[in-house]
Amino acid sequence: MTLLSVTDLTKEYQSKKAVKAISFSFEENRCIALLGPNGAGKTTVLRTLAGLLKPTSGTISFKGYKPNEDIRSLIGYLPQYPVFHDWMTGLEFLIYSGQLANMTKHEAYERADELLERVGIADAKKLNIGKYSGGMKQRLGIAQAIIHRPKLLMLDEPVSSLDPIGRREVLTLMEELKKEMTILFSTHILGDAEEVSDELLLLRNGEIIESGRMADLREKYQTAGITLTFHSDLEKYKEELHALPSVRSAYIEREKIIVSADNLEKARLEILQMAIKNHWPLTSFAINRASLEEMFMKVVAE
Amino acid sequence: MDINWAMIAPLFVIQGLLLIFALLDWAKAEDYRGSKWMWLFIIIFISMVGPVLYFLFGRKR
Amino acid sequence: MQWMTLLKKELIENWRNRKFIWVPLVFILLAIMEPLSTYYMPEILDAVGGLPEGTVLDMPELPPGDVLMLSLAQFSSLGVLLIVLLSMGTIAGERKSGVAELILVKPVSYTNYITAKWLALFILVFIAFLLGLAGGFYYTTILFGELPMSAFFYTLLFYSLWLAFVVTISIFYNTIFNSPGLVAFASIATIILMSVITQVFGHVLDWSPNQISAYLSQMMVEETVSKDLIATGLTTAGMTIILLVLSVIMFKRKELAN
Repeated sequence: MTLLSVTDLTKEYQSKKAVKAISFSFEENRCIALLGPNGAGKTTVLRTLAGLLKPTSGTISFKGYKPNEDIRSLIGYLPQYPVFHDWMTGLEFLIYSGQLANMTKHEAYERADELLERVGIADAKKLNIGKYSGGMKQRLGIAQAIIHRPKLLMLDEPVSSLDPIGRREVLTLMEELKKEMTILFSTHILGDAEEVSDELLLLRNGEIIESGRMADLREKYQTAGITLTFHSDLEKYKEELHALPSVRSAYIEREKIIVSADNLEKARLEILQMAIKNHWPLTSFAINRASLEEMFMKVVAE
Repeated sequence: MDINWAMIAPLFVIQGLLLIFALLDWAKAEDYRGSKWMWLFIIIFISMVGPVLYFLFGRKR
Repeated sequence: MQWMTLLKKELIENWRNRKFIWVPLVFILLAIMEPLSTYYMPEILDAVGGLPEGTVLDMPELPPGDVLMLSLAQFSSLGVLLIVLLSMGTIAGERKSGVAELILVKPVSYTNYITAKWLALFILVFIAFLLGLAGGFYYTTILFGELPMSAFFYTLLFYSLWLAFVVTISIFYNTIFNSPGLVAFASIATIILMSVITQVFGHVLDWSPNQISAYLSQMMVEETVSKDLIATGLTTAGMTIILLVLSVIMFKRKELAN
């Protein structure tokens, strides 16, 4: 069941197009990573979905709501650099956030207490936010975003400013939250996206250049190959390799011959058999797999 | 005409209160626009206007 | 419910940052300095010692109504300046710092947000004005002679309308500009411009909000509330409401993130 669908969303700032007619949709209870280099338009997309920016054109439809209707009660949002009222305590701010989302004071209080515990800042709940560290603010930011149990949680670069430990904790928390709500988060680090998300939207220069399920993309971009090293006569072996039915292509790169195959298992068997039969002076034989990372780097560098 | 000091006393009391509240806030505040000690001088030495300037501009929100 | 949450947050903020203490104190000071300094002017001049031997000071005895108007004049200049400076960041500052991004992404009604801000500011200004006026009134009556209590209440009522209008001007510019400095500048410029226009076209702009002080002064002398004062009060209230509605509209149209 589609939770949110975006059609031809465009956002212009003073005639500069930050987001160019993008369309995408996702289903309930998924975790979607909006991946892209800095300046790709990730923040603009999230802010537009959150209602903080008005789309120049295009529609945003939430399940059960009219296109472009006010859906703020259904979403939780954490900006990249959250700023709070420093004079409030963490607990006060959460209760305030909850009440703004139309919870009763009592409900908001109970939920705030529970969330402070859950994000691990319960000890500091009576402390003014002005005294919080960056990591504590990030946790408080997540707590305020989910206080009203939104259907869709949007996080803008939730882990990029954290140290490795903080990063791990937030990723673990996201892993848990995935079970309760749909998460859409932006990141410029593929590793973070691979770690928690089920789906990927790859954004560059305001356009979606690739999208899909994580597993599908991995498969799509996985180019398996076999690398063989010889001391001499590379041309000759290359021709012989080409003749094998399982080999799709073979080319020479310095001392090596790189072979790509559709069926890696079959190719390996055929090549090894031939090597033994013909007494090839092989110095190395290796199987390599290209990853999503290479695809990402290639796409981003283009 | 003699000056009735009882009449003028409230003026000084209020100015004093303003000064005290400004100093209390100054001592507790953490973030200042400009230097912390500059604000102390302004609060103390510019009567009445100093504390007001401090309250308006001295602290970061 | 949500409106009360927003209002309460503003009131608590004004309490914690001490605005509820220092703003009334300043208003009281502004108001009581006038009758005191006017009354003790000969002594002050004497103490300064700037008077040559033999100068005869002929200070006219001021009627109490005029003295109270002197206090009001302080509110009209320094008081208004203070109100503008106090309120210049109430929305613009929240937007500039980025807090607004967290607040307005919650299902907050823009009308609630603006009107709660407005009322919180007006409550602060009204309390300061009430205490200041009471102080000024007290000193005026004991130093310069009795004034009817009605003079106090009418001044409180009609001048509050003017102050509410000033608050609304600031709120209006808060919804337009993201920079508190710009809000203060535009508010002051507007008030000065209105006063100039009222002076130049005074003969046609009988009920301009800037006339409230003049009609109050007239009331002190004549001891009756003139039709002009009531009409000016109603005009001011009307303009306040219109400007407040405009503020909400402007705020809805503006994008909340920068």
